[in-house]
Amino acid sequence: MSRNGKSPGGGPRNRSLRHGNGGVLPGRNRRAAAVFLLPPLLVYLATVAFPIGESLFLSFFQWDGITRMKFIGLDNYRQLLTIDSTFRSAAVHSLVYLAVNLVIQLGGALLVANALTYLRRGQDTLRVLYLLPAVLSTVAIALLFQRVYSAEPEGVINQVLGAVGLGDLSRPWLSDVHTALVAVSVPEGWRFMGLYTVILLAGLLTVPREVEEAARLDGASETRIFFQIRLPHLRPVWLTTLVMATTYGLRGFDVPYLLTNGGPGVSTELLTTYMYKTAFTSTDYGYSSAISVFIVAECVVAVGIIVALLRRRGEALL
Amino acid sequence: MSTMIDVRGPAAGPTAPAPRRRTARRHPFSASRLSKALVTLVLLLQVYPFFWLVTTSLRPAKDFAAGNPLAVTTHPILDNFARAFDNGDIPRFLLNSALITGVSDLLIVVLGMMGAYALQVIGFRFSRLVLGLFLLGIVVPVQVALVPLFINYTDVGLLDSYPSVILPLVGFALPMSIFLFMSFYTYVPKETYEAAALDGCGPYRLFWWITTPMSLGTVATVVFVNTIFIWNDFIFANTFILSTGKKTVPLGLQSYLGSMGSTDWTATFAAVSVTVTPLVLAFLVFNKAVVRGLSGTTRV
Repeated sequence: MSRNGKSPGGGPRNRSLRHGNGGVLPGRNRRAAAVFLLPPLLVYLATVAFPIGESLFLSFFQWDGITRMKFIGLDNYRQLLTIDSTFRSAAVHSLVYLAVNLVIQLGGALLVANALTYLRRGQDTLRVLYLLPAVLSTVAIALLFQRVYSAEPEGVINQVLGAVGLGDLSRPWLSDVHTALVAVSVPEGWRFMGLYTVILLAGLLTVPREVEEAARLDGASETRIFFQIRLPHLRPVWLTTLVMATTYGLRGFDVPYLLTNGGPGVSTELLTTYMYKTAFTSTDYGYSSAISVFIVAECVVAVGIIVALLRRRGEALL
Repeated sequence: MSTMIDVRGPAAGPTAPAPRRRTARRHPFSASRLSKALVTLVLLLQVYPFFWLVTTSLRPAKDFAAGNPLAVTTHPILDNFARAFDNGDIPRFLLNSALITGVSDLLIVVLGMMGAYALQVIGFRFSRLVLGLFLLGIVVPVQVALVPLFINYTDVGLLDSYPSVILPLVGFALPMSIFLFMSFYTYVPKETYEAAALDGCGPYRLFWWITTPMSLGTVATVVFVNTIFIWNDFIFANTFILSTGKKTVPLGLQSYLGSMGSTDWTATFAAVSVTVTPLVLAFLVFNKAVVRGLSGTTRV
C-alpha cells in the first residue's frame, strides 16, 4: 500500500510494471493474484486441461480399463490413419455435419438478421421467438425430429410433401443412407440459428446509418449495400461467430447419437460418436483416446485457420 | 438498383416535396416485402414445433396414431400428462436438474469472476499464458474429457454422483465466463481502482465492494446462457450418471423412448412439454437480459 501513496499519478516505473503484468491495480499483489486465480485454475486444470493431457497419454496404450495397460507407441494412430475405414468415413461425415450447420447457422442467420433490419417494429419480439429452439434440450429435439422425419407413421415432412403433390419424394429420412446424414445435421442448425441471428443482428445494427443513407441516395441497390457496406462492417463479428459455430459444429454429438446412433451402417457416424462408442461400447480406451487427440487437433487447426484468415495484423484475438 | 427507380418513379412523379420525401424513406418496398416474407417463414419454422409439441401432448393417443400428425385436436385431454407422470419420475428429474444447474451456475459465476479479476484487474507475470490456457477450453470439444474423467472418477469413487456432472460442466464453462467478466472489467475506468486503492482499499475489499456489485449485468448474462446449456446437458449426465434416482431431465426424457416398448408418443410429448416449461418461462421472463447479453458478446 505504501507504494500507492508514493506515486499517485502513476510514475513511469509503476506504469511499466503494470504493463508487464497486465493488471490495472496499482502495485504488486502477488498473494491476492494467487488467491483469486487458484480456485478457478484448479477446477479448470482438473476437468479440462489435465484430461486432455491424459487422453494424449492414453493414446499410446492399448487398454480396456481392466487388464494391464500395454504401451504400443504410435500403433493406435497408425491404425487410425491407414487402416480404419470407419474413422475415415466418420471424419468426412463430421465435415459434412459442420458444413450443413455453418450454412444454416451463419448463412441462414445472416439472411434473417439482414431481413430483420428492414422491419420497422417487432424486432425485439422476433429475436426472442427465434431464440426459443435454443432452450430445448437435444433429447427433446431428437424426439421431435424423429416424428418430423418418420415415414411409418407418416411424419411431418412426408405429410407436407404429399400435400403439395411431391409424394414421390417422401421417404424414411433417417433410415435412407442418402438422406440420413443431412437429416441428423439439420436439427442442430435449426436449434441455434436464432442465436446467431441475434448476434449478427446486433452487429448489423451498429452499421452507421448515415453511410447507408448516403449510399442509397447515390442509387446503390440494397444488394450492393449488403455486400459492400454491411458485410465488411461485420468482419469482427464474423471472427467470433465463425469460431463459435465451427467449434460447436465439430463437437456435434447429441442429435446424431440419439436419432440414429451412427446408422444406418456407418452413414451418420461422426468422429465424436465413433469415439464415444469406441470408449464406452467397445471399451477400447487407448484407441478412443487417439480419436480424441485427433478431434482436439482438428479443432485447434480449424480455429487457427479462421483466425489467420479473418484477423488483421495487430488485432487482439476474440 | 432498378428496383429503387421503379419504386421512386411513379410515386415521385406527379407532385412535389411531400410524396418525394415519403419515397426517400429508409427501406425500398421490395427489400422490405422480401424481408417480411423471409422473417415470417423462419418464424413459422422456429415456433411451430412448440405449438405442435403442446397440441400433441393434449391429443388422445389413438387420434395421434391414426390421423394427421399436423392436425390440432378438437377435444384436448390431460390423460397423456397422467401417463407421463406414471411412466417416469418427472418431479425427481426436475429436482436433479435444478440442483445441478443451480450449483454449477453459482460456481461458474464466482470462479469466473475470481479468474477474471486475477487476470484483468490484479495482473501477474504469466497472465497472458494462463489466459491462453483458458482460451483453449473454448476451442476444445467436451467429448475429449469423457474417457479420462470416467477413469479418474472410478479411481476416486465419484462416479454416479452430482459432482461428477457438475465439475466438468463448470470446467468447460469457465473460459467463456472468465472471458465475459474480463471484457466487462475492461470497461471499468482505471481511475476507479486507483481512487479506491488510495483510500486504502485492498484487492479483496475492492473485489467484494466495487467490482462485484458493478458486474451484476454480466452475472445475469453468464447465468442465463449457462443455465440453458447445463439444464439441457446430455453427454456428461449420460456418461457419469448411472442410477435412476440421479437422472436429470434429458436422461429422463430419453428413457421415455425405451421404457415403453413401442413409444407412447403423446405421453412422451406431454413429458417434453412439462420439462421444457420451466426453462421456456424463465427465458420469456428474462428475455431482455438474454438478448442483451448475447448481443454484447460480440462487441469486439
